[in-house]
Amino acid sequence: MMRKMANVILLLLATALCYGLQVSKPHYAELIGPIPAYGKLGDAVVGRGFEARAAKVAFSRNLKVDRYGQTKVFTTGGIWAVVTVEFAASAQSTTVAVASWRGPTGLAYDQTERLSFADGLLPVAIDPGLPKKARLIFEVRPDEVSNATLLISEKLMSALDSQAEISLGPVAAGADGLPAETVDTLDLTQPI
Amino acid sequence: MLEAARSRLKAGIVAGIGTAAAIAVAGVLGAFGARHEPMPVLAQTSRIETGQWLLQPLKAYVTDGKHAYGAPLKPGGKALVLEVEMTNRTAKSSKDYFEILRASQTAVDAATKPFIVLMRDSTLSPELHPGMPERMAYIWEMQPGVVSPTSFDLMVIGKTYKQRDNLYGLPGWFNPTPIGTLTLAVGAGPDKAQVQP
Amino acid sequence: MTARSLDWESGQGERKWRRRSLWALLLLVPLALAGQAYDSVKTLLGGEDLFPRQVAWGQSAHFGGSDWKLTDLRGAFGMSSLPPDSVPVLADFSVKVGDPDLQKLWLGCKVMLIDAEGRRWSPTSAVSLKAPGDVHTCVSAIFSGARRGDTLNLRETFLVPRQATKTIRPAVGLASERPHFLFFQLEKD
Repeated sequence: MMRKMANVILLLLATALCYGLQVSKPHYAELIGPIPAYGKLGDAVVGRGFEARAAKVAFSRNLKVDRYGQTKVFTTGGIWAVVTVEFAASAQSTTVAVASWRGPTGLAYDQTERLSFADGLLPVAIDPGLPKKARLIFEVRPDEVSNATLLISEKLMSALDSQAEISLGPVAAGADGLPAETVDTLDLTQPI
Repeated sequence: MLEAARSRLKAGIVAGIGTAAAIAVAGVLGAFGARHEPMPVLAQTSRIETGQWLLQPLKAYVTDGKHAYGAPLKPGGKALVLEVEMTNRTAKSSKDYFEILRASQTAVDAATKPFIVLMRDSTLSPELHPGMPERMAYIWEMQPGVVSPTSFDLMVIGKTYKQRDNLYGLPGWFNPTPIGTLTLAVGAGPDKAQVQP
Repeated sequence: MTARSLDWESGQGERKWRRRSLWALLLLVPLALAGQAYDSVKTLLGGEDLFPRQVAWGQSAHFGGSDWKLTDLRGAFGMSSLPPDSVPVLADFSVKVGDPDLQKLWLGCKVMLIDAEGRRWSPTSAVSLKAPGDVHTCVSAIFSGARRGDTLNLRETFLVPRQATKTIRPAVGLASERPHFLFFQLEKD
């Protein structure tokens, strides 16, 4: 009788242990995910192959862009967020191609694909010793603006490679729900 | 001797009954699986959820190259256009919308892939961002010399979310499955009034 | 011999072999790991330019089936509309084609500049200087249809910070020769 009880308890313990192992095991997606390099707005965030410093964030309702020699105004369903970033290559020439805007609720907004013809956007080729500025342009919901994180990496599948994670801090909202310093039109035809 | 033969017979009968029961159960289950549910007919005025997307059909019309949002149509070709408001329901920017609408229409060749254009500025298939509704135009090039149809039949296809796929263990949307059919009246041109929700 | 003593002897032999097997594992497990990892390590090393092969100034080196020679390395000073303190640098090679299967041998061709600190510059697209008609880049030469015995003139353009121009040396890597790469000495060395 005692022996039977002991067996049952042992079985339960083994089950609990196996369940614990299964629950606490990191997922494959986490194991091969990017390696974060953290920083704040204005910090130089150093990754393996590149260094990024987000200088400033601007918000606007419309963007003025040169498109094949013509100036066009681009509207959006949300709000345009334009981040000016200075990049530097560490040991060898490389290309930084991917950026996304992660809102406070975890929604991830990739760079807009509507302005792919414009200059000064990613992908940007960088050489050691020659820092270069670029603009990252996102279309985001106004409620995903405050306390957002900027994610920058060299390639789309940056498995086991650096990803700069720059926290952009709180943004005060105006009466209309948009950030207080939102401008009506931001002129991207001006040099960075 | 007789005893042994009897027990062997018994075992044989039991095994036979078991096999027959298994086959019967499998057959019945198979019959249930093969039974075709009639495809639900989706109302054009309602919002349609395909898993990743929320669709709100706006209008359908036939147009020539001039009003096709810059889609590269063959000279003199006509196109069947569906305007739809799409909202990304996922947590990530995505352009996984190439397979969600399939034209089941004789005027459109089944192999024709539509041009998908952002109506705001005619960008060809850009990523759409989470929680931001955008108006998109699906543009199917029509076969030459076909009479313009008066109604447009579509199959709506949805996908299901998997936390971990079987190959890479990564999250994603898989298994495209038809979720219903949609029929829209076809107008003469882009000025046609919108479907009122 | 009794059955008992036979039993005892076989037990003894079994124990001996068990011990030998355990010791053998010490050798076999690392060997198996090495065998398994061999291909992965080879692929990993084959993707990187790790071991330089020095080439003296004016000499040519056999690399990827052809003979490579550095003919010139110079800066193009005085260009406008470039980042401050940056200099375009031109590297010229003359390559005598030996094995004409360039599409296989020259795959992944990468010309670079390496400075004293080990920093590496890849060719730039920010500067485009006019070159005579028969000058190729490494990648365009692959599709030039060159035959055995032909001499190809290659030129690559780089953008380098001014203070690095003193110590830069050109280098060439090809997928067929990796992890080795050619590292050219200059005249002043």
